[in-house]
Amino acid sequence: MKVPVYIGAESIVSSLGRSAASNYDQLCKGISGIALEPGIGWKESDVYLSRIRDLPAVGPFASLLSASLEELSAGWDQALLTSSDTQVIISSTKGELSDDLLNPFHAVIDGLINRFGLVHRPLLLSNACISGVLAINLAARMIGEGMCRHVVVLGADVISPFVLYGFQSLYAVSDVPCRPFDQDRKGVTLGDGCGRVVLSVEKNSFSETPALYLGGGDANDANHISGPSRTGEGLVRAVAKSLRNAGVDTQEIGCLNAHGTGTLYNDEMEAIAFNRLGLETIPLNSLKGYWGHTLGAAGLIETALCMQVLRNGIIPASIGFENPGTSKPLNVVIRPEELKKDIILKTASGFGGGNAALLITRS
Amino acid sequence: MIRKASCCRFTSEGIFVNGEKRFTLNHFEEELTEVYRQLSVEYPKFYKMDLMSKVSFLGVELLKGVDSELALHREDEEVGLLFANSESSSQTDLRFEESYTRDGLPSPSLFVYTLPNIAMGEIAIRNKWYGAHMFSVFPNFAAAYFADYGRLMLKDGAKRVVGGWVDVREQPDAAFFVLDSSLLENREEALQVLNQVYSNH
Repeated sequence: MKVPVYIGAESIVSSLGRSAASNYDQLCKGISGIALEPGIGWKESDVYLSRIRDLPAVGPFASLLSASLEELSAGWDQALLTSSDTQVIISSTKGELSDDLLNPFHAVIDGLINRFGLVHRPLLLSNACISGVLAINLAARMIGEGMCRHVVVLGADVISPFVLYGFQSLYAVSDVPCRPFDQDRKGVTLGDGCGRVVLSVEKNSFSETPALYLGGGDANDANHISGPSRTGEGLVRAVAKSLRNAGVDTQEIGCLNAHGTGTLYNDEMEAIAFNRLGLETIPLNSLKGYWGHTLGAAGLIETALCMQVLRNGIIPASIGFENPGTSKPLNVVIRPEELKKDIILKTASGFGGGNAALLITRS
Repeated sequence: MIRKASCCRFTSEGIFVNGEKRFTLNHFEEELTEVYRQLSVEYPKFYKMDLMSKVSFLGVELLKGVDSELALHREDEEVGLLFANSESSSQTDLRFEESYTRDGLPSPSLFVYTLPNIAMGEIAIRNKWYGAHMFSVFPNFAAAYFADYGRLMLKDGAKRVVGGWVDVREQPDAAFFVLDSSLLENREEALQVLNQVYSNH
């Protein structure tokens, strides 16, 4: 029999606030953290970004991860962090790239081990934009197979000229705050972000009632390294696998938190995949219009937000969306609405052809 | 009987397949094209790949040459990809950074390779492998990573897992190998086999 795996102690650090609850409040009010940053882009271009204001100039990635572990006690039995039954997984695409391009991860992880007295070396996952969802799925599998009892999953990425110029070189950066799934969408808006969730077999290790992790899965498009599949093949497979693993029927899903980057091709691909899966009537949102695309943090902060939706019962609107802009219909949430069924599906898709999904519910 | 895993190893001395030296590498990067030609694989996308993807592509092609079952998998989810290295995508990251600091224009064709998981994407495309895939970054080759997470992938539906360790920045240090449930059922034995794959060539 499958052991129940609980997921809780969520945190979100973004331009909108430093806790999951404060971010959720801002989203429900329809407030976006995206702002115009003059002269910061390639050739001093003005770019819309979602920035965390008080990040240190040196070591911003390490400081986000450290703060996230320090604040763990607010939601979870912090003493367990140094247990040999606990594993830490970190999801990031570029880590501390601005400080050390050749070695963006090891020193930061060594620092965390020393500072917090971790028994096991944290596992650093770097799978582009699906890293966060993949990390949570991996955590649940590790617990399910008895490799550990608790996993703290952190995800963080910080905007750098490197990444910004790169997206600009692909003509993928929107000249307005990103508008996922809208007919006038023009690309991504990048964001700083750090998210955290804890997965555990011990329900009482959480200070607030955790959610229940139901299942997840991932698949590759096997199609193109930087362009989404035209048929949504990988996303269809990842969601189908997640539904199978979770033993969930599409009719039971109350909210679909999509990846929704705001590029023409990504959002179109998602619409095609969700229609192939029969998910087109499920209330759907993308949160990128609030805090931008936070890359390796995205899966974490967006799943954390889904946990807030389960706690509070209101689905925030998909900000930036006004008119349908995909060839297949979707039920995009245009003003905050009640969560009518208790299961939430979270998806992610990214460079390298990766797609991942997971399902959570109330415990 | 001592178990073995189909394996392919790249070091500064050359390319070894199942322990046997197949190619000598003196000028690593240029010689990979020659290796590609000798494999008689018609796949022009190879020329566009970054170094890490080229090494990974050749490694898996060479594995398919000695592991007929692996070569049979196509258009399915039954092959999982479990990769790792110590240097992330920094070999290409450096080149992308130079494109805008030195050459005056950020290069989109380099930027798309500035993620370590892209090499797995190239392999998935080449073989139409839709299965699970995961990339981690840690300081040194660790047999336990491949044994433990490989087992998770097999439990989750993969029939075979292609493991890959791919460092390319200073000198080639790469290993590719096929993991299946018979190999991974005994963890101690699996660790031994994997350590052998990495240390012997």
